[in-house]
Amino acid sequence: MEEPRLNTVPVEQPPRGSQPHERRPQRSLIWGESSVATSIYRSRALADVVIIIGILGIFYGITQVSREWTGILRPTVQIDLSFGALPRYTFFSLVRGLAAYMVSFIFTIVYGYWAAKDRLAERLLVPVLDILQSIPVLGFMPGVVIALVSLFPRSNTGLELAAILMIFTGQAWNMTFSFYNSLKSVPQHLREAGTIYRFNWWQRLTQIEMPFGATSLIWNSMMSMAGGWFFLMVNEAFQLGNRDFRLPGVGSYMSVAIEKGNVPAMVGAVVAMVVMIVGLDQFLWRPVVVWAQKFRIEDTGGEEAPESWFLDLLHHSHVLRWIGAVNAAIGRAVVRVVRSLLRRGPGRSHAVQPKPVHVDVPQQSHRPSPGVLVSRALFAVLLITLLLAGVQIVRLLATVHLVEWLRLLKSDLLTLLRVTVAIILGTLWTVPVGLRIGLSPRLSRLMQPVVQVAASFPAPMLFPLVITILSVFRIGLGVGSIVLMLLGTQWYILFNVIAGAQAIPSDLKEAAASYRITSRQRLWKLYLPAVFPYLVTGWVTATGGAWNASIVAEIVTFRGETLRAQGIGSVINEAAFNAQFAELAAAIFIMSLTVVLVNRLVWRRLYTVASTRYNLSK
Amino acid sequence: METLAQQPVLLSSEHVTQRFMMPSGKEMTVLDDISLEIRKGEIVCLIGPSGCGKSTYLRILAGLIRPSGGTVQHRGEPLEGLTPGVAMVFQMFALFPWMTVWENVQSVLVPLQLPADEVQHRVSSVIRMVGLEGFEEAYPREISGGMKQRVGIARGLAVKPELLFMDEPFSSIDALTAESLRGDVVDIWDEADGEPASIVMVSHDIKEVVFMADRVVIFSANPGRIRTIVQNTLPRPRDYRNPEFLAMVDYLHDVITSNELPDVPVAVGTAQEAQVLEPLPPVQPSDVVSFVEYLDSHGGQGDVFVLAHEFGKEFSSFINIVKAAEMLDFVDTPKRRAVLTPLGYRFSSMETDEQKVLWKQQLLTLNIFKAVYADVQVARNGILLDDEVQDQLAQLLPNENPEFAFQTLIAWARFGNLLAFDEDSDEVSLQ
Repeated sequence: MEEPRLNTVPVEQPPRGSQPHERRPQRSLIWGESSVATSIYRSRALADVVIIIGILGIFYGITQVSREWTGILRPTVQIDLSFGALPRYTFFSLVRGLAAYMVSFIFTIVYGYWAAKDRLAERLLVPVLDILQSIPVLGFMPGVVIALVSLFPRSNTGLELAAILMIFTGQAWNMTFSFYNSLKSVPQHLREAGTIYRFNWWQRLTQIEMPFGATSLIWNSMMSMAGGWFFLMVNEAFQLGNRDFRLPGVGSYMSVAIEKGNVPAMVGAVVAMVVMIVGLDQFLWRPVVVWAQKFRIEDTGGEEAPESWFLDLLHHSHVLRWIGAVNAAIGRAVVRVVRSLLRRGPGRSHAVQPKPVHVDVPQQSHRPSPGVLVSRALFAVLLITLLLAGVQIVRLLATVHLVEWLRLLKSDLLTLLRVTVAIILGTLWTVPVGLRIGLSPRLSRLMQPVVQVAASFPAPMLFPLVITILSVFRIGLGVGSIVLMLLGTQWYILFNVIAGAQAIPSDLKEAAASYRITSRQRLWKLYLPAVFPYLVTGWVTATGGAWNASIVAEIVTFRGETLRAQGIGSVINEAAFNAQFAELAAAIFIMSLTVVLVNRLVWRRLYTVASTRYNLSK
Repeated sequence: METLAQQPVLLSSEHVTQRFMMPSGKEMTVLDDISLEIRKGEIVCLIGPSGCGKSTYLRILAGLIRPSGGTVQHRGEPLEGLTPGVAMVFQMFALFPWMTVWENVQSVLVPLQLPADEVQHRVSSVIRMVGLEGFEEAYPREISGGMKQRVGIARGLAVKPELLFMDEPFSSIDALTAESLRGDVVDIWDEADGEPASIVMVSHDIKEVVFMADRVVIFSANPGRIRTIVQNTLPRPRDYRNPEFLAMVDYLHDVITSNELPDVPVAVGTAQEAQVLEPLPPVQPSDVVSFVEYLDSHGGQGDVFVLAHEFGKEFSSFINIVKAAEMLDFVDTPKRRAVLTPLGYRFSSMETDEQKVLWKQQLLTLNIFKAVYADVQVARNGILLDDEVQDQLAQLLPNENPEFAFQTLIAWARFGNLLAFDEDSDEVSLQ
């Protein structure tokens, strides 16, 4: 029998059925004035024109990106701060984010599948993922950059790949955890149906497992895209030792604007970023969410179905239908050719016979299947790699002096204190506000899109503004960095509180009203307990974000002046940019250890409490 | 049907045993020494109380689960992996929610690698066979439970199985729909040319079993064993109102009650010597109370199966309520009747507070409560942990899942103010 698995780490995944995206369909009516948009595009001809222009635009974009990629490696890119250059830069950043997402997606499927299917590999893969997710994004930077730049010494490809890989490290882990968890929780009757009807692994994956995990994977994908932008400024413009690597993009545009103190350019970059985030939502996620409605498991009636004007537009288009038909015809032709080739070929009997079936029962047969062999081989490679890496890291760490360790530990505790304060402050204001918004359908309709943009917006882009304000009040970075952390992470708490407040069953609210329970009692006896599981999810996500943010919040360069607060984040930042690898490794080790410990000791317990005592779905 | 015994054996199990490892490390026997043959052309129904392992046994026959002991043979060959030529219809339908009716049926034909036109043909013919024309493009969430199960059956028929396994296929469907669907399944099986040749069905509904089965295999629980196999030679098509049909239903009722509610309770008398106690039926005290009060207001006695129907419970869970009331000495069960005892009459007429006092008193006549109560009394601070009680239960009731037994025990004890249980600290203490 399979033992039930606990989440090794709380995933950035709200409790079942809490996806605000799923639940708040009205949002598309607010954003982008879509109701106006649909009426304009209702005519099919216009839909086609828009789509043809879109396709041409994509082709043009591809040529631009490929020119940039194959361009000769420049020592330093000169960033043009004029507004005219912004669309191009934003487009480049968008392509990097999307490319990173593709890598994350493939990684998620492969890694999640492997971890869920191979019991032996699972024991290693899940803890490794747990550790990977606790390592700050910047921790990957020096290794990745050096390796890739030296692989492509003459073109920009290496640098571009490095930026993409770093965005990837901010996206992949929670998606992978979500997919892994979905694979592990496919209902038994669906699994048995797959077995009894002899689905092969591919059919299982594409017809049972991926559809089952789709809703949660899409939700996590949106979160991941947002998380990936956080370090955009660092990823597109970084120094390593005495070398300055810079890529054209909205992140580097912003960092140059900050360096030069060019306020209009900063505002321009912020606007471009917002436009990109809203555009991604309208043109990518919204249609995907609507399309993914068919993967819902339960039939939850009563809720309005989400809508997407862009998806409607696509449905209306002749051009797309035509492309689809041509595609399908080509696909059928290919299948026919392949089949006939297989039939004609010598391996005929082989091709026609059903493939060996994977039965859920451990087979007593002594011949392991090819899948198992591949898995074992990969496992061995991974194990050896990890061991070698482990030895290297231990060697590196061994060079760090005891005094240095103590200094790091002190910095770590300081940052821990800041993170804690940030979470407390964030909770204090988001709980009342979130309850207010979530309990009022009108307010949630208005505010949810705003909160979502705020959550997706890379907070470091706002740091100059905040620091200017803080300096007016003569607040140093020691305390000020808490505000900076808060800026990036409070949204996750707010987000979840809103979702939690929306999920409070109306009969409970009605009961509270009919017994004339005072509003204070209502807060403590109904709203807070009901929101608690969501709050925990928000805290977990926000804490992870705050640790990551400490790296850019504890050391800020503004108008040529560098402000620094003591903390593990500033240590990591400086060590990474000065290429002091031993110190970097030690600092990351301590930070990751703290994150993992806090996860184990605090969040997991709260999760258990939340899911047993305060679970409204039981 | 005389020729059935001469038909070849498709599937046979010999001394099949299934044990599960409990989280506590103890083994629990779910199925004990099951030997059965499924012949070509027959419908076999497995019936028994909940928890007798009949669904597990069905999965063993299908090759989904490998038994811990004994063997399964398909046409005389030991089984390796899945049983060849099986299809299965599931209680919860097991349809893929993201596929339309058509796609659901089509998906099971993919592994067969049939030519495209053959697939088209098969899908449309089975959809017609189960009466789903016009719903090809519907998603499962858009159709009723009965329709969903029609899809489940169509999916099973599409692979042209030799053996069709059905795991309580009609229990998630309303009674009227179930009746017509049963008729359809039997008709299809009758007309089908050996596809499916035989049906093995798990059920808890006696009428259903009499309607469908050529042979009825009656299981008993803790551990699951075959009690008896009843031949059902009623001619087809069968009619639910035919006297012979009703006589058969009656006969099965008798067989099952004599298993489940023996006139002479065996366990209580021998319990002390053997240190093996009668398990607690998994029911809530409130159910027992309302059953006793119901019986009092309806003449003090009645037929268990009629009562089950009136009570709106399926008989396998209702029988547990009767059992519980019998253990507490509130009812007697001569044959298949439940008769209120004098104590039962007294209990029924009491106020809730008094009922609780009497309940407590009766609990303490049961060895299992005596044992746990005594242990809590001598425990340090009068407190035992959840796990400690479960360990004790595992010893006293070796064939029971100690976690479930614990839950029942606590529910009964709480009702009688005998023991208290704090879920946060997992502490069991005296009230």
